[in-house]
Amino acid sequence: MSTATTVTPTKMWSGGKSPFNVEYGKLMMWYFLMSDAFTFGAFLISYGTIRFSTNGWPDPNEVFRSFPFAPEGVHAPLVFVSVMTFILIISSVTMVLAVHAGHNMDKKGVVRNLILTIIGGILFLSCQAWEWNHLHAEGAWWGHNPFLNHDGTASSTNFTNYFFTITGFHGFHVFSGVIINIIMLIMTLTDKFEKRGHYLMIEKAGLYWHFVDLVWVFVFTCFYLI
Amino acid sequence: MEHIHTIEAEHHEGGGTKEIWKVTIILSVLTIIELALGFWMMGMPLESSLRLAVKGAIVILMLAKAFYIVAYFMHLKHEIKNLIMTIVVPLALFIWFITAFLFDGNSFRHLRNTYDPHFKEQSTIKVEKKEEKKEETKTETKEAKPEERKTVE
Amino acid sequence: MSNEAVIHSPVEIGAHEEHGEHHHHHETFITKYVFSQDHKMIAKQFLITGMFWAVLGGLMSVLFRLQLGYPDASFPWLETILGKWAKGGHITPEAYYALVTTHGTVLVFFVLTAGLSGTFANFLIPLQVGARDMASPFMNMLSYWFFFAASVVMLSSIFVETGPFSGGWTAYPPLSALGDASPGSKTGMDLWIVSMALFVVSSLLGGLNYIATILNMRTKGMSMTRLPLTIWALFFTAVLGVLSFPVLFSGFILLIFDRNFGTSFYLSDIFVNGVGALPNEGGSAILYQHLFWFLGHPEVYIILLPAMGMVSEILSVNSRKPIFGYMAMIGSLFAIAVLAFLVWAHHMFVTGLNPLLGSVFVLLTLLIAVPSAIKVFNWLTTLWRGNIRFTPAMMFAIGFVSLFISGGLTGIWLGNSALDIHLHDTYFVIAHFHIVMGVASMFGMFAGIYHWFPKMYGRYLNNTVGYIHFWVTIAGAYMIFWPMHYEGLAGMPRRYYDYSIWESFKQFAELNRFISTVAMIVFAAQLLFLFNFFYSIFKGRKMTSLNPWQSNTLEWTTPLRPGHGNWPGEIPEVHRWAYDYGKDGVDFIPQTTPVGADESHH
Repeated sequence: MSTATTVTPTKMWSGGKSPFNVEYGKLMMWYFLMSDAFTFGAFLISYGTIRFSTNGWPDPNEVFRSFPFAPEGVHAPLVFVSVMTFILIISSVTMVLAVHAGHNMDKKGVVRNLILTIIGGILFLSCQAWEWNHLHAEGAWWGHNPFLNHDGTASSTNFTNYFFTITGFHGFHVFSGVIINIIMLIMTLTDKFEKRGHYLMIEKAGLYWHFVDLVWVFVFTCFYLI
Repeated sequence: MEHIHTIEAEHHEGGGTKEIWKVTIILSVLTIIELALGFWMMGMPLESSLRLAVKGAIVILMLAKAFYIVAYFMHLKHEIKNLIMTIVVPLALFIWFITAFLFDGNSFRHLRNTYDPHFKEQSTIKVEKKEEKKEETKTETKEAKPEERKTVE
Repeated sequence: MSNEAVIHSPVEIGAHEEHGEHHHHHETFITKYVFSQDHKMIAKQFLITGMFWAVLGGLMSVLFRLQLGYPDASFPWLETILGKWAKGGHITPEAYYALVTTHGTVLVFFVLTAGLSGTFANFLIPLQVGARDMASPFMNMLSYWFFFAASVVMLSSIFVETGPFSGGWTAYPPLSALGDASPGSKTGMDLWIVSMALFVVSSLLGGLNYIATILNMRTKGMSMTRLPLTIWALFFTAVLGVLSFPVLFSGFILLIFDRNFGTSFYLSDIFVNGVGALPNEGGSAILYQHLFWFLGHPEVYIILLPAMGMVSEILSVNSRKPIFGYMAMIGSLFAIAVLAFLVWAHHMFVTGLNPLLGSVFVLLTLLIAVPSAIKVFNWLTTLWRGNIRFTPAMMFAIGFVSLFISGGLTGIWLGNSALDIHLHDTYFVIAHFHIVMGVASMFGMFAGIYHWFPKMYGRYLNNTVGYIHFWVTIAGAYMIFWPMHYEGLAGMPRRYYDYSIWESFKQFAELNRFISTVAMIVFAAQLLFLFNFFYSIFKGRKMTSLNPWQSNTLEWTTPLRPGHGNWPGEIPEVHRWAYDYGKDGVDFIPQTTPVGADESHH
């Protein structure tokens, strides 16, 4: 287990091979995700900065309190967003299982789990669409904030501005993740990876998908919980 | 070359289905705790230190979740140390990124509260009919009915 | 099972090797010169596009220097070129601001980022680490074409009815966020932001490639501590870009929403003349500055580090001495790269930044002096008692060191928040950053072009013209920017259209005219260089030896005109670091030479 540490670092770095034991594509995906982390980080930190420089802020439990098909005026804070969170976590799990199946050259497993992941992604996007639509019907949009601050004072529009921008940007990532996964599915079904002898592409798509899940952890906390 | 092979073995070892399910359960439990804290927080007064502490706890739980996703789902824990370091170390830049931005945001608020009477006044004017807000919010924006505001204090 | 087989066998390198050996398929003009995936061709594309922009950006500076130097004179020929932007031979204020803004944007991003690190990262990384090509040649090609698209959009913004963006290269809101704020804030700003977004994509694609190539594709024996310093510098440059450009990207997205979708991220309490009070409330223009400078400061080092790396290499080669303090050089590059991320708010001391926070930024900023000084001392000690060959490349490298010292010293002044209250937004700042970042990096770029031109085109640049180019440029650079320090100390603010209406700055009328005149002469000298460059591509003195500078690095082991794949046979193995000059009485020992039995250790 600890044999990895017995390899002297100089040997790993001495050239002629990857010092990380990974092919360049995976390395690039990791570094791309890091740079994307800075994109999302900058968004969320801007949100925090504006929130810190403002005197009041709306109560998320008052804003995000509805649920599809529930009667008008229902007060169910955090419920809908928990459903969304679990959908994304489960889709992440199925993605790991797909990657795992790819490692074992198990085409059937890859296909099954990829389909489940795609369904999870589409479900999440549908939930988000519903929520946006609902908030829009309440009068919330970029530049419009119908909600009051915690203490009943008027709120600046930046609450909704940031909410729609950041969840929108995240939703866009989910959307592109779904597209990537669909491409992966097609490539798997047409035996592209089988011919190549490895499913490394699935692994890279998986990294992207988990990153989307990771970002949601932060978005969920920043907008819905605190 | 032998060494490399042992790394391969370790590389392959990580990320069995058992581990995946274990991490799924951990993530779910963490989320449920977060939600429970969120519900608990609703009843607390606005500026209480307990509320702040709960928020802190939620942030820590968030970081724990992030750790489990990156380490196990994204498989980073099972990569070799070189790769882990090149990815984790640059993320330390976020510490100063967050600190400086939020500190300056906070300072900007103080600045405006001290020197900008209009800004200060704005944040003390309550919009009326908070109780009936559910019906009113659809049409009522702060620009729409400024005359309904009343000064508190 | 099979996954591991792919990861652990050197298939990636092997695949490229095969590509290099069986290079039979015929290349068309399009695949060879236009949509080329060969890193050497992409480097030349970056270089020539960069040169195009350098000429245009330089010409803009000549035009606005005309206004500053001769505010009362009228130049009818200006109306011929600029039309309504120079009615009666006078550049209008709008045109003046547009010229200043475009000059800044173009020089900083298109010339000194894409033109400098795009060129030399592409050209040198695979050649010096011993790789067939970049990790992903396709992404590399995309990187250039995104840059090209950005260029086209930026160029088109010059020709729109309301003019290009005119609110300064930093594009601070509200000028950049409100279309009604100024003519340039309308279509010009839309195009500016689209162009910059494309540019960010280009530099991300490039940067990811550079990092992956340097880490993953080094040839056998090329450990990290055997890399030439150019590669280390380009590596840190790429890391800076990959981690800081996304932040700018976020800032731009918020700006786009402010411009087009009625948000107020950056806007609050604004009254526009002729429009009235705006409803936007709750935003903070300072936030944009934070986001911008979180990129903007690392950007300075994105520009400077490649120049530093190339200068280190050229100084060592032409002093026939190993670089002094190789590990200290890497350490200071690393320190600069880390500090680059921690000091952005020193551009914002007078925005109302919290003084306590400001003092931390002062501390961190002044810390940069330490690695910078280490580098300067190492360059000087590399030269010390060297067997110096004053090639044009060497002249420019030494010029770089001189400029870096002169410009760096004033940085210590500006890094102090107390002094900055007086110096902020004066000509002192202009002088500082033009010398240390603008001209110094240009010198690094020239040094690189003169040094690697034979590898690029198989011919030499003309030396005599090179020396003229050097002396005019270095003398001119000091004559332009040295006086600006005095103007700045006297409080003369930057970005003003006409200083003659001010009693306090009337005394500088002569000096401004002098600066403008020198600026034109220096610009003319650059045209001389351009002529030299293009003439020498076709008619220059032919290379007779494969290694004209007797250099140790791997790029000189390739054939005269390396094809796609760089080495016809196997990639050479590396046995030593890149700086064995004058060792054991041998003038130079290439990296490919195995270590002899009785060789001394360095």
